[in-house]
Amino acid sequence: MSMALVVEAVDLKKTYMLGKIPVEALRGVSLKVEKGDFLSVLGPSGSGKSTLLNLIGALDKPTEGKLLIDGVDVSTLSDNQLADLRRKIGFVFQFFNLIPRFTARDNVELSMSIVGKSKAERRKRAEELLEIVGLKDRMDHKPAELSGGQQQRVAIARALANDPRFLLMDEPTGNIDSKTAKEIISLIKNLNEKGVTIIMVTHDQHLAREAKRTVQMFDGVISSDVVN
Amino acid sequence: MKILDVFAYSFSAIKLRKLRAALTTLGVVIGIAAIVALLSITQGLQATITDQLERGLAADTLIVIPGSSALGGGAGEGGGFGGGEGFGGGSTRALLYINYTSQINSLSPNIVTSLAVIQKSGYIQNGSGITRPVTSIVGVDFAQFANAFPTTFVAASGSIPTNPADNDIVVGARVSYPRLNGTLFVQAGQDVTLIWTNNTVIPFVNETYTAHISAVLDRIGGFGLGGPSDTSVYMPLSQAEKFFGTDEADMIIVKLKSSDLDVVNSTSTTITNYFGNQVSVISATAVQSLLSTIFSTVSLFLGGIAAISLLVAGIGIMNIMIVSLIERTREIGILKALGMKSRTVLHIFLTESIIIGLMGAIIGIASGWVLANVVALFLGRGGIIGSALTITPILRPEVMLGALGFGVGISVIFALYPAWRASKLKPVEALRYE
Ligand SMILES: Nc1ncnc2c1ncn2[C@@H]1O[C@H](COP(=O)(O)OP(=O)(O)OP(=O)(O)O)[C@@H](O)[C@H]1O
Ligand SMILES: [Mg+2]
Repeated sequence: MSMALVVEAVDLKKTYMLGKIPVEALRGVSLKVEKGDFLSVLGPSGSGKSTLLNLIGALDKPTEGKLLIDGVDVSTLSDNQLADLRRKIGFVFQFFNLIPRFTARDNVELSMSIVGKSKAERRKRAEELLEIVGLKDRMDHKPAELSGGQQQRVAIARALANDPRFLLMDEPTGNIDSKTAKEIISLIKNLNEKGVTIIMVTHDQHLAREAKRTVQMFDGVISSDVVN
Repeated sequence: MKILDVFAYSFSAIKLRKLRAALTTLGVVIGIAAIVALLSITQGLQATITDQLERGLAADTLIVIPGSSALGGGAGEGGGFGGGEGFGGGSTRALLYINYTSQINSLSPNIVTSLAVIQKSGYIQNGSGITRPVTSIVGVDFAQFANAFPTTFVAASGSIPTNPADNDIVVGARVSYPRLNGTLFVQAGQDVTLIWTNNTVIPFVNETYTAHISAVLDRIGGFGLGGPSDTSVYMPLSQAEKFFGTDEADMIIVKLKSSDLDVVNSTSTTITNYFGNQVSVISATAVQSLLSTIFSTVSLFLGGIAAISLLVAGIGIMNIMIVSLIERTREIGILKALGMKSRTVLHIFLTESIIIGLMGAIIGIASGWVLANVVALFLGRGGIIGSALTITPILRPEVMLGALGFGVGISVIFALYPAWRASKLKPVEALRYE
C-alpha cells in the first residue's frame, strides 16, 4: 500500500537556531503524496513552504518527525545515500540556480553528467528537453543572456533530465510575468499528465487551482488540504 | 561523475578566472624553476669536476703523500692536491723517501709498481728571456710514469725519451701555449731555463739550470691530481734529486692491478698501516666519494631553499582555493542539490589544484632548464669559476619527475583543506549563501 506513496511525512518539525533563539519553521506537518499526484502548496511568506520542500527534496533533515521518500526513512540515510536520493528528485528553485558560466545546454547536461551519463547521451537528452520547454533556439545562451522565464524553463529542463520520481518546484512562476507563467504551468500540467508527480509551491491562487490538490500552510502547519 | 567530466568541470572553473589562475601557477613555476635550475647546475658542476678528477688521476692508482689528514697533507709547495714539503700535518708527519718504492711494491700482490715523485713549484724562462710560473716542476722516472699514465703522459710533439739525458724535460700543453690561442711560449726542441727558489737555506737561493724540451704533452684537462698535468714540467728523477738537493719524495704513485673498489680500499689501508698512519693515501674513488657527499649536501641545501619558495606557492594555492570556495558556495549547493556526492566535490577542487600544479611544474621545469643553461653560459664565459671549468647543466629524469611530483604534491596538499571544506558544505546552507 505504501508502494504508491512517493512522500510520506509524519509530524515533521524543523527548528532553526538563530543564535540562541529557536525559530520553529515547521511545527508538525503530516502529508502523503501518491504517485502521479499534483500538489500546490499555498501560504503566506514565512509559513514554512520552502522549508518543507527542502526536506522533501532531501536537501535538509528534519529536527523531529519521520519522512519517508519512496518508502525510505530519510533520517537513516548517509550523506552519500542522500546524494543518490537527490538524483531521483527534480528540484526547481525559487531563484533558478543555474551555473552562470554554462550555456543552457551545459546546465541541463550537468545534472546528467553528475549521475555519470555519457556525453552523447547527455547532449541528445538536453536538446530534447530544451526543445520541450521551448528553448530550441537558445541552447547556446548563458543564463545572463536569457530572460527570467527562459532561465526558469532551463531549470525545469535540468530538473527533468534524470527522469525524476517527482518534481519539486519552489515558486516556478514567482519572478515571471503572467503570460510566461501560463506557458510554464501548461508545461507542468503536461508533465503531470505524463505521470510525473509534482509538488509546487506558489503564492498565486489561480495557479494553485490548476493542481489536483491544494495544501494550505500557515505558521508551520498545514491548515487545509483539499482536492480541487 | 566520470573522471573526464570532473576534469572538464574543474577546467571550466579555472578558465573563468584566468588571471588569478595564471598568477597562482606562476608561484609554482618560480619554485619549480628554482629547484630545477639549482639542481641541474650543481649536478652539471659535479659531473664536470668528477670528469676532471678522472682525467687527473687514474682509477687504478693511489697517491701516497706524507701526513695523516683526510685528503693528505694539504696544498703544499708542490701545488695541486698532491701536497708537498709545505706545512700540513705538523708533528705527525713522516717523511717519504724515494727508495721506499721497493718496500711499497712488496706490500701487496695487488700493487703492480710504484714510483716516487719530487715536485716543487718554480718558473720557466724561454729563449727570449720571458719567465712564467709553472704549477710544479716534477721529478719522475719517465718510463714508469708513462707506464702508470699511458693515456695522459703522451707526447703531442717531440717524443718522451725512455732513457733521458739529465737535461731532458717534458712540458705540459699549457706550458707550451699558456693562452690556448696558438701563441707558443716554448716548444719541443728548444732550450729553456728552469728556476727553483731554494728556501732550505738562508738567504734563499734561486737555483737554475738549462734544460732541453724533448716533448710537449697532449692536452689533458683536469686538475693533475697526482697524474700528468697541463701546467707542469717533468724532469728525470735523478736530475730532480740533484737539482732540488733531496732524496725525499713528495709523493709516491702506486699503480694497482685493478680499479676494483675492494682492491683500492684494502691496498690503501695496507699502505697507511705500514707507515703507521703517518701517510695519507688518496684514491680517485675516495676523492670522488668525498666530493659526491659534499655535492649532495650542497644540493640538498640549495634545493631546500628553493623548496621554501614552493611552499609559498602552496600557500598561494590555498589562498585562491579558499577564495574560490567562498565565491562558489552557491554553485556547490547547486551541485549537491543535483545529487553530486561530497567525494566528487572534493575531487573537483583537488583537480583544479592538480591542473595548476601540473601546468606550473611543466612550465617550471622548462624554464628552470633554460635558466640553468643561461647561468652555465655566464659561468662558462669565465665569470666566477674561470674558463678552466665549463658546466653543462644536467637534468636527470629523476629530478624532472621529482620536480613534477613535488609541484603537483604541494598543490594538492595545500588544496586539501579548502577542498575538504567545499565537500562538507550543506546543500541548503550553500544555496542560501549570497
Ligand atoms: N536557515 C534558516 N535559519 C533561520 N531561520 C530560517 C532559516 N530558513 C528559514 N527560516 C525561517 O523559517 C521560517 C519559514 O521559512 P520558509 O523559507 O520556509 O518560508 P516560506 O514559506 O518559503 O516563505 P516565502 O514564501 O517568503 O518563500 C521563516 O520564519 C524563516 O525566517
Ligand atoms: Mg520560500
